[in-house]
Amino acid sequence: MNAGLRNLQTIAFLLIALGLIALALAGYLTSFSRALLTPFIELQAWVYSRYQVARDLLSAPQDIVQLQQRNLQLEAQVSQLQAQIIELQQQLAEARILSALVDFARANPENRYQAAAVIGRDPSPFLRYIIINRGSDDNIRRGMPVVTQQGLVGRIDAVTANAARVQLITDSAAVVNAKIQPSGAQAVLKGQITGDLLLEMIPQGAPIEVGNLVLTSGLGGGYPPNIVIGQISGIRSQPQDIFQSATVQSVVDFSQLEIVLVIVNFRPVNIEPLIPQEGQP
Amino acid sequence: MLTILAALVVLVPLLMVQVGIFTNMPLLQGYPDLILLAVLAWALQPSVRRAWQWSVIGGILMMLASATPPGVYLVAYALSVGFVSLLRRLVWRIPFLTMWVATIAGSFLTHGLSFFVLQLSGRELPIGFAFWTIILPSVFYNLLMALPIYALVGEIARWTYPQEPLYEP
Repeated sequence: MNAGLRNLQTIAFLLIALGLIALALAGYLTSFSRALLTPFIELQAWVYSRYQVARDLLSAPQDIVQLQQRNLQLEAQVSQLQAQIIELQQQLAEARILSALVDFARANPENRYQAAAVIGRDPSPFLRYIIINRGSDDNIRRGMPVVTQQGLVGRIDAVTANAARVQLITDSAAVVNAKIQPSGAQAVLKGQITGDLLLEMIPQGAPIEVGNLVLTSGLGGGYPPNIVIGQISGIRSQPQDIFQSATVQSVVDFSQLEIVLVIVNFRPVNIEPLIPQEGQP
Repeated sequence: MLTILAALVVLVPLLMVQVGIFTNMPLLQGYPDLILLAVLAWALQPSVRRAWQWSVIGGILMMLASATPPGVYLVAYALSVGFVSLLRRLVWRIPFLTMWVATIAGSFLTHGLSFFVLQLSGRELPIGFAFWTIILPSVFYNLLMALPIYALVGEIARWTYPQEPLYEP
């Protein structure tokens, strides 16, 4: 009797269980299960959040030390990367300059060039010279013209085995024979202590305008012809004067010189013996 | 010999710094003259009896690096050291202020002589522009750099002459 009753209860339990599963699978118990589980879930969330607070409280000092160490590591890494970025930017800038210089050399195949880096400037504030890292060992000779891809820089003034000093065209003792385009008028370019360039001895009748191009003329044998110097930026002309004068804006930024080209196949001509001296026939 | 070695150890790196760095950081158009400052600072050290070696070495180094007519810096530095010797006879103690006085005198002397010789060599240098834009800013620049150079050279002098100062009463 007892055994039959127990079997009946088991069957009834299984049927109820199967019925509940069937109802759950059919979705009829969703709202019921939600209402039943929500308090449990909230309670579980609260318990876990308290556990997290307690765990953070206990492990925080260790984490701060670790975080500080990690922060230091990352800061060091950032510094390294910043240094790398600066180095790469410098290399990129140098590569751009070299690329422009190579383009310039290709565009002027009649000349042979020796690239040189600027390593210093004359310590006297009255003079405008730069020092480059190429000397007589690299076939650099006194008087050779120095250019960049933009235009004329100056010429070699003194040479040692591994370095040379370049007199810039802005030096107050620099003189360059020039011509003005498109008129073709001849003139003499002089450097000024202010760093400006002054074009003198322009014939009074020569038609010149602001913006005209100034090139080396090649006269006198000091520089090869047709190297760009700059543009006329101002004209001084008085009717009673024999010559006009003009200020010239150089195409080269002399404060930013980093790499220059020395024209090594140009030898300046010394015309001093041809200039008649006073008292000589 | 030790004096000459100390001069080379100090003056050569200072010249490199001057030629490579400070000439790219002008004040208007003025540069500091670190060699002059080092020579003056050396001449002002109580333990140093003769400073002419430093003035000669400094003058030769500047002659090598600069296109200024030869001898200008030699003479200017020698005169500056002479002025410092005079100061040392007149002033009992050598405070930092003496360095500034020597800097002003030495700067004007060096730039004045350079200007004069360059004018004689045929350069057109307007005196007004040169004074206000080159000489005066250079003097200010030198005054700014005077104390660091004085401290550096003082250390070198202490290493070179470790004994008690000779001018102590």
